[in-house]
Amino acid sequence: MFSAVNTGGIRGMDAYPVRVEVDLSRGLPCFELVGSAGSEVKEARERVQIALKNEGMVLPVSKITVNLSPADIRKEGTGYDLPIAAGLLACMGVFHASDFLHTAFLGELALNGEVRRINGVLPIVIALKKEGMDTFLVPAENAGECAAVPGIRTVGIRSVGELLCYLKADEEERQKRFPTYERESAGQVKGSGKDFAQVYGQESVKRAAEVAAAGFHHLMLAGAPGTGKTMIAERIPDILPPMTEEEKLEVSGIYSIAGKLQTEGLMEKRPFLAPHHTVSPQAMAGGGRIPRPGLLSLAHRGILFLDEMPEFSSAVLEVLRQPMEEKRVHIDRSYGSYTYPADFMLVCAMNPCPCGYFPDRNRCNCSPADIRRYLGRISGPVLDRIDMITEAAPVAVKDLYEAREAENTAAIKQRVLEARERQQFRYQKSPYHFNGELPGSEVKKYCQPSFGGQRFLEQMSEAGQISARAFHKILRLARTTADLEGREKIEQTHLAEAVCYNSGRRRFWNQISM
Amino acid sequence: MQKIKEVQEQQPFAHWLNGVEGIGGVWARKLVEAFGTPKEVYRASEESLLAIAGSSRLAGLLAAQKREVYKEYEEMDQEGILFLPYYHPEYPKRLLQIPDSPFGIYVKGKPPRDGERSIAIVGARNCSAYGRYVADAFARVFAREGVCVISGMAKGIDGVAQGGALAAGGSTYAVLGCGVDVCYPACHGTLYEKICASGGVLSTYPPKTAPSPRYFPPRNRIISGLSDAVLVVEAKQKSGTLITVDMALEQGREVYAVPGRITDRLSDGCNWLLVQGAGAALSPAQVLRELSETVWRNHQPDGCKAGAMTLGESTAGAGRVIGKATGEIDRQERALLSLLDFYPISVEQIYMMAQREKLLCALALPQLMELLWRLVVKGFVMDEGGYYGLKKPI
Repeated sequence: MFSAVNTGGIRGMDAYPVRVEVDLSRGLPCFELVGSAGSEVKEARERVQIALKNEGMVLPVSKITVNLSPADIRKEGTGYDLPIAAGLLACMGVFHASDFLHTAFLGELALNGEVRRINGVLPIVIALKKEGMDTFLVPAENAGECAAVPGIRTVGIRSVGELLCYLKADEEERQKRFPTYERESAGQVKGSGKDFAQVYGQESVKRAAEVAAAGFHHLMLAGAPGTGKTMIAERIPDILPPMTEEEKLEVSGIYSIAGKLQTEGLMEKRPFLAPHHTVSPQAMAGGGRIPRPGLLSLAHRGILFLDEMPEFSSAVLEVLRQPMEEKRVHIDRSYGSYTYPADFMLVCAMNPCPCGYFPDRNRCNCSPADIRRYLGRISGPVLDRIDMITEAAPVAVKDLYEAREAENTAAIKQRVLEARERQQFRYQKSPYHFNGELPGSEVKKYCQPSFGGQRFLEQMSEAGQISARAFHKILRLARTTADLEGREKIEQTHLAEAVCYNSGRRRFWNQISM
Repeated sequence: MQKIKEVQEQQPFAHWLNGVEGIGGVWARKLVEAFGTPKEVYRASEESLLAIAGSSRLAGLLAAQKREVYKEYEEMDQEGILFLPYYHPEYPKRLLQIPDSPFGIYVKGKPPRDGERSIAIVGARNCSAYGRYVADAFARVFAREGVCVISGMAKGIDGVAQGGALAAGGSTYAVLGCGVDVCYPACHGTLYEKICASGGVLSTYPPKTAPSPRYFPPRNRIISGLSDAVLVVEAKQKSGTLITVDMALEQGREVYAVPGRITDRLSDGCNWLLVQGAGAALSPAQVLRELSETVWRNHQPDGCKAGAMTLGESTAGAGRVIGKATGEIDRQERALLSLLDFYPISVEQIYMMAQREKLLCALALPQLMELLWRLVVKGFVMDEGGYYGLKKPI
């Protein structure tokens, strides 16, 4: 007796369809599982047998062979329990597998017959939908993410009993007992309760944060301790433009694979990750024997915030290089290579020297060698990919009290959204989303300043010792400041502002060479 | 020891004697006086050395007698390094006058000439932008007036001053705490080359000697010894710069200090020197004028630059000259200029001040930044890595 049911597996970021073939034949009673199954997949034999027994189903005394096809791809994860159980039930004649050609099964079984959540449901569902599947039997806890994929029927399953119920029932009863899971419409995304209005002073740094958020530019905040670097960085996620549906699915897919997706369904807010500086390079890039997405990928389309950046190990900081350039992480293993997306906005904060007060010579006692060593921890290539290096200068207490009412997050977000719309329109026919993503070769095409602006930029670079290297960064930033103002032409104001966001590099990194 | 030829013949041995372990300037001199020439010291028997130098110095001398004198000297000679022992006609006369005058001095480039007026500019390595500016400005004026600048080629004030002197086309001499063929600090490679070409690098330590903290205080006495006056630009209360000042006072050199703000720790040393009676250096012209009335009263311009004291305009205002910039400025730009000072401040601070003073209130940050850069382009304002201040004179 032979039967086959559909399921899917994950390899790196890619999902692929898997057919679970089950055969009962005469011979010595045994339970074989073949098809490049990993150790946790092999354990499915025990879980399935016992779960079925505890639901009152006794396996026939015969030679049971399960094959996971295609047999040459290594299978990982626990999602094969439910399809194996379904395949066995079909072989035992409980239902006709031919009735379920367009149904996919996913889920892990507990010994008492319960169905438990698994990782990676969302990308599998998306991939199987492309293969023509229209009904998905998934663990009830994963139903939310599954239902986020439009145009399919999602059935949340709690136990083997429910599975049996579903399989045996006729269409009418099914519709009644197992209505398609409706995802609760995502309400207003909750803010963090942190508002820019709570930050007094540091107007220039707040403005820098706004520009960074509008153009998705990497931002570094350098400055003495207690100047509000962290406070401002924590408020950036709230002014970022919301994710598009496409982005939501993309980000949720990564979180699904990493097993970090909440039961409500998709990720509604852009990720904000702030790892501690003791994080390991593997945790950052992703890895493990079976690679999993690391923090860089979990920050995809969101913010990766590195507080006290020079305190991170140099290995971790070097890991940033490739993703900042290619927007993805590449991991190679002996049995294959994996690629995870990692298009994040880097926000980092740092003191300019070990004591934190450089270049204020009245307070800083660090020797030039100390400072060079400290600043040098951030390697040239990483530094080179950060468009904005802004100083958060110490704020006088007097200024804090005299500061007028600061602008709140909502007002800033409004401007960011408008700038975002302009970018969306501009890049609709190109692979880019934000100004910050433009490679040097495209800067000329999209960031051409007006005639007066061009002349002013040349004059500024002469007067202010701005290196030719910084030109692309300045033009990209000027594009964003112009977008924020709602202008298509890049004018003097926009360029002057962009030059100011380059000042930290001159202040800290150029000064140490003297 | 008078004839040049004889001096030349003795050179390898003089270099040898200067490098003997355990023999300092005083003893080297005593040995030469006792034996007649360095060559005789090299050839002296153990007994005679013991009789003169004593047992404690004997071992070093005996060990050194085994070295290859000519080879070492030739190597040095090929690299263009001179050795000037105290009896050498080119040995700087100023050094003969100082206590504990060195036995000899190595020179890469030219040795300082005795008739040349010279001022040492010294100060902190971790200097501020103010100190850097002042050192550069003073050195340039000194160089233009034909006064050579002597310093230690260290990071900070020393290097900036020597760089300024070179940029103005003057000559400058660096006294190192290591061999003259060792560039320390290494980041001053270009400066080192330039100093070798236009002036000279000097040291009392044999070539290839690596820098060591204990070598620096003795080299400070050479810096002050070679100069007519010592100008301290920035120094903390406890610093190596003040050692140079102590040496200078001991040697009877004039000491000038650049006053600083009493809130700046980097100016504490200078301000303290002023309290102690050092001359206040308010502008290069004033320092030059005062020196020409005292130390250089009998100075004969030796052809290096004619009309030495053409101070004229630069005397006016003693440093408080606002830089002349080009271009028209409008009302907004003028208002912004009124907020700025020579001491650079950040955009944030300027914005806050504008709010407080109710000037340019209506201006948002981007417009303020544009205004600032317009003034930078026009030459009224200096950008120092995101900090803006009025452009300084000179």
